[in-house]
Amino acid sequence: MTRLNRSNCEEAFRRLDDFLDRRLSSDEMRLIEEHLQICAWCTREFNFEASVLNGVKRKLRQIEAPADLVAKVLSRLPTP
Amino acid sequence: MRLTRNQPDAEDLVQEAAFLAYRAFDSFESGTNFRAWFLKILTNCYYSKRRREKSRPVTSDLDDTPDLYLYARSGQAGFPTQGPDPAAQLLDKLGTERIVAAMAQLPQEYRIVATLYFMDDLTYEEIAHTLECPVGTVRSRLHRSRKMLQKALWQIAEEDGIVGDHARQADA
Repeated sequence: MTRLNRSNCEEAFRRLDDFLDRRLSSDEMRLIEEHLQICAWCTREFNFEASVLNGVKRKLRQIEAPADLVAKVLSRLPTP
Repeated sequence: MRLTRNQPDAEDLVQEAAFLAYRAFDSFESGTNFRAWFLKILTNCYYSKRRREKSRPVTSDLDDTPDLYLYARSGQAGFPTQGPDPAAQLLDKLGTERIVAAMAQLPQEYRIVATLYFMDDLTYEEIAHTLECPVGTVRSRLHRSRKMLQKALWQIAEEDGIVGDHARQADA
């Protein structure tokens, strides 16, 4: 991966998901971070996408299982 | 419930998986990840159930979703895309129920990966292990499921009039 600058937002964008999931090498992570420091447009898009991901995770994880689910499961299991 | 799309089926699935896990408990290696072991049984159970039912695959118009869908649509509809966390504001407006409904609209193979990622916080490797597929498959399905989820969420919000009024106001 070549050094990123304003002209290769596309190259940064192709790594959006991997960057957000921290699946790039440390060198690639650093290059993307450097690009984001100089590109307000990409920063806005990356921040928005990161916030969508985190928001969806947070909201879905707040959902609780039905209160009687454990009782129903236990009632189905054979008694020792 | 993100797998089955409805609560009764979800409860049946959990009960069946718990029963199978109980019967197969001898195969669980002490000291390994119980959650991952149980999730594997749960997803196998779900696939098995689906095979038995021989359900028709879910067709979807979500496949052609462009990247950054919510960003683009919310900008077009007049929602802020900059300032203090505009995405969080948008998600709060759309609400958890619509996110759940959007997850339910994903085609099965994407819904499963998305569920394990968003709800169970599994890594790519853990998802690959659970589903017995390559990490690259998880990566590509996850990428597509994120896009499809955003489109489905926006469509539901439009149908519910959540974003339509805002868009009309912005156009006026």
